[in-house]
Amino acid sequence: MDDSARRLLQRLIRRIPAQMLKPTLDKWDRLTAAHRQSMDFTESKWALTEKLLAIYVIENPDHSMWYALQLVDPEDDAHSVELTQFKEQFKSHLRELIRHVSIKIKKHTDEAVWIRIAWGDSFSRPNHLKPTYVVHHLQTPYVFVTSLTSKLKPLLSQALVLSTRYQAIKDASLSARKLTAIRDLLMRQYQQVFPTKYPSSLVENNQNASNILINKEQAELAASRHQKACEAFGDGMLPQLQSAVYKLETKFRDHTNKTMTEREEAFRCVVKFASTNLLESLRHCASSGISSTPGTSLLSSIPLKGRNYFVITDNGPGPSSQTRQPPN
Amino acid sequence: MSLLKPFSKLPGLNTANILLVENEEQFQQSLADVLVEETSVTVTVRLAKTLPLPMENDESRPRIDLVVFIMNLSSELSFQSAEASLKYLDPGYFLGKVCFMVTNARNASVPTERLDAVRKLAASLHCPLLFAEDQTPDGATSATERLLTVLKVAAGLVPTTTALYLSNLTRCTLPPDIEQPSFD
Repeated sequence: MDDSARRLLQRLIRRIPAQMLKPTLDKWDRLTAAHRQSMDFTESKWALTEKLLAIYVIENPDHSMWYALQLVDPEDDAHSVELTQFKEQFKSHLRELIRHVSIKIKKHTDEAVWIRIAWGDSFSRPNHLKPTYVVHHLQTPYVFVTSLTSKLKPLLSQALVLSTRYQAIKDASLSARKLTAIRDLLMRQYQQVFPTKYPSSLVENNQNASNILINKEQAELAASRHQKACEAFGDGMLPQLQSAVYKLETKFRDHTNKTMTEREEAFRCVVKFASTNLLESLRHCASSGISSTPGTSLLSSIPLKGRNYFVITDNGPGPSSQTRQPPN
Repeated sequence: MSLLKPFSKLPGLNTANILLVENEEQFQQSLADVLVEETSVTVTVRLAKTLPLPMENDESRPRIDLVVFIMNLSSELSFQSAEASLKYLDPGYFLGKVCFMVTNARNASVPTERLDAVRKLAASLHCPLLFAEDQTPDGATSATERLLTVLKVAAGLVPTTTALYLSNLTRCTLPPDIEQPSFD
């Protein structure tokens, strides 16, 4: 939600008389019954506004870029951290690091813990117009953040590491607009296909099977292409990733262009793939035969390693540099 | 080289068999669905992406009366794949049993050289060149009607007409100014 919409909502709530708030919201009829029950109308108007904004963000998580972080090196009790312990630890650690901060933690129905953080500094109150949202699934090493500045990232990382009982946190090199996309990709919540020696045809071309007058000549070839494509990218609905970026720092190699090839230093360029559903397009390229199978490992690393930012150097694809900050 | 031969098998009674070759494997499906609805003749349709056809199907494959190459003009790969498949056809097919079908010819982004190249190819092989519209069901229906006309003759089901005779009337000819640069 952009700033002007947020301010408009605040002014509206302020304008409506307190006793009319509940009937107005009921008449508006846009909130679900569960949300309406969670709205406590004895709270201040400011608190109610915040609650409405929080409901909006949770229902529409796709309005800004989400970045994935991964916790590494778990301590012995990392796998038994449960909700109340995590909540207390996180709040106390973060409050130790920065005094003026407003934290709200809520557990969603699908086991995700949503944290809303409004940051202030030593001089000003927390700024509720630009909060950071953090989503963490307990007992997994994955954390998803949005709207976090690079200045505040170390503080959040410290609090997360201490409260989840891991030793460090790193950037997972995965970002997208849809939270569900990066969550499903990292936790492999789409249909995986494993290589088999005797594949039963994944594609049962029902329309042709029913009509014996139509006959596909190269059906086996098409089926094996489809099988290989699904092995690389998965079957069924794929997570809706929108882009993949490859940063190349390799030497220029082209026999026809001597001047460029003779340069000693690396030729830096960035290759970006963008699409409404990138993984679906890559899988279709492979299954329709436009790209040959087995495909290049650079593209199949996207679902395999669960990342969409790669740095390729001459020694082979390496991990992206640890100091990379998500751009804001 | 495994060539597809036109007369090496016996024909079926009141049957016509058509082979649709298309690199994208899209339009051929819509055409096939309409073709098999024909009632006066039993039409069987074989679909392929390129030639040569796999040898495993040789035994079960009926005699192919008409081979149609479907090309999407907006893709250079489509044209090249069709051209490469031509050499797997026995020369006997080019006496009226081959037809070229082109889709997306009205698209403004198609370079004119590609249509000229397709025309030259069809003219040099003495084959008809049909234009089809693949985005609507009406397009598939009208393309099917024209294909059926040629197919029935090629299968020998129309008395007093042979495939070679029909191809003399329907084959693609080059306009005399094809080498001149076009208006744009």
